[in-house]
Amino acid sequence: MTAKRLRVFALLAISMVFLLAWTFPIIWSVMNSLKTDPDVLAYPPKLVFAPTLDAYRDVLFGSGSILPNLLSSAIISVGTTIVTMLMAVPAAYALARLRFRGKKFAGFYVLATQMLPPVGIIIPYFLVLRNIGWIDTYQGIILIYLSFSLPFAIWLLVSYFEDIPFEMEEAAYLDGASRLKTLWRIIIPQVRGGIAVTVVFVFLNAWNEFLFAVVLSGNTVRPVTVAMFNFVSVEQTLWAKLAAVSVLAMLPVVVLGVVAQKHIVKGLTVGAVKGGGRR
Amino acid sequence: MATTAVTSAEIASEAPRSDFGRVLAQRERRFAAALLAPAFLALLATTTFPLLFLIYTSAFRMDLAMPFTNGFIGFENYQTLLADERFWTSLLVSLVYTGSTVALQVIVGLALALLVMDMKRGQGWFRIIAILPVVLSPAVVGMIWRTFMLAPEFGIVDYLAINAGLGSKNWLGDPTLAMVSVVAIHTWQWTPFAFMVLLASLASLPEDIYEAARLDRASAWQRFRRITLPLLRPAIVMVVIMRTMVALTAFAAIFTVTAGGPGTATEILNLYAYRKSFTELSIGYGSALAVALLIVTIIISGILFAMRRAK
Repeated sequence: MTAKRLRVFALLAISMVFLLAWTFPIIWSVMNSLKTDPDVLAYPPKLVFAPTLDAYRDVLFGSGSILPNLLSSAIISVGTTIVTMLMAVPAAYALARLRFRGKKFAGFYVLATQMLPPVGIIIPYFLVLRNIGWIDTYQGIILIYLSFSLPFAIWLLVSYFEDIPFEMEEAAYLDGASRLKTLWRIIIPQVRGGIAVTVVFVFLNAWNEFLFAVVLSGNTVRPVTVAMFNFVSVEQTLWAKLAAVSVLAMLPVVVLGVVAQKHIVKGLTVGAVKGGGRR
Repeated sequence: MATTAVTSAEIASEAPRSDFGRVLAQRERRFAAALLAPAFLALLATTTFPLLFLIYTSAFRMDLAMPFTNGFIGFENYQTLLADERFWTSLLVSLVYTGSTVALQVIVGLALALLVMDMKRGQGWFRIIAILPVVLSPAVVGMIWRTFMLAPEFGIVDYLAINAGLGSKNWLGDPTLAMVSVVAIHTWQWTPFAFMVLLASLASLPEDIYEAARLDRASAWQRFRRITLPLLRPAIVMVVIMRTMVALTAFAAIFTVTAGGPGTATEILNLYAYRKSFTELSIGYGSALAVALLIVTIIISGILFAMRRAK
């Protein structure tokens, strides 16, 4: 075998190991969710088994159904996304395209807010919400989610707004359209793609959040990431059901992630590849 | 990009002496203020106000379990903190956790990015697969690892360990192994992030420099050391900064997998502040711990940003 052949084989072997390492925990959860508890616990682990949807039926429609929790997650994520976008799009446009005093400071402020450790925010926030009775409410959770979704969305959108040519809005403006009308009719359609990517990210982050959700949720509003704990207790773990809940919690983000795959790197790396020149 | 285009903003600022220009500039400022106001009010309410309130509460004894002892105590929480062994342990655990996960992510991510850049086919698979761990909730990831992967005598990792002749191990019950486990889980989830960023950065490097180097008979290692690494430096430093910020305040995965245990073996500073505040209900002291975490974050990010500027 030539050295080149050997190299190709080595490459292939290493890449296979990595692809397997990254996907295995996910695949294994999906497989376990289609098993019965004895099959999950079988030793050696069962790769071939009779698949059943019992676990899904139980967690969705049985007693202690997680449907309300999935609904909570959905309301929180959609609500956060809508509020965030309504505030972030205008702000990002102003930061990217308008000239005003204190612009540098405004940009720095948005960036700096991302540095705060969440645990530091949640302690005082918890005290305030307890006083006004907003623990275990949607508005309480959605409001605190703005602390991380807004700075992120603003920075991501700024990078998209900066990419559109100035001539477009200039033409519209000189034609007599108001600034607001120009923004709405001319600029927003130009960054539709960027807005879509931002929506995906804000939704993902809200769906996945955990620390704030643990502290602020109760019996009424309890997202699925928190409710998942009901299936693991000191006495027993409901193996197949836990797997089913995990898969249901993963499903929306995996679908979104794969669909938005081509754009996700930009979202992850705002500033990273460019070297953060605009700081 | 827009160097030749004349914008209303430029008209406004370049002709400040004409009335027309002044009116435009003023109108632009007002428009900007109106657009920024909602977002900035929300940020003030959800970040700046809590921060100030946090610093305020850190000067109080505030035990929800024993409200009768509550009151203003000035810097006493911070004095307690400096003498608190658990605080120093958690700081050390934080630094070990952050340092090792970030180093692993960058090294493995870079190696893999270099490998995949060399591949003629199959790059697309890597790009899609790499998305998966990154988009998952750390809480769900933690739960999957704790149960299906690491559970003794049943999890896959233990199964592999037994078959490799290592025997069954208490992956989450032994202090050292628990630390190794949480580091491994974080690395598993976030290496694809470093991989994707570095791959994108590698793909943007100019090909002709490599051609020239090859003509000069530079070895693969020389090309890597002398060309790739220096050109990749901004991206690597940026990945290190972003990942460090996240690792320092990691919560969900450690919380679901070990909850900081056994004992305080995997209790990073972040988790200690949480436990103090919401499990032991000492909100005042928890606030002081959170302030300490903020100071550590600022110091470390300061060092990293200085590193980015140097050279």
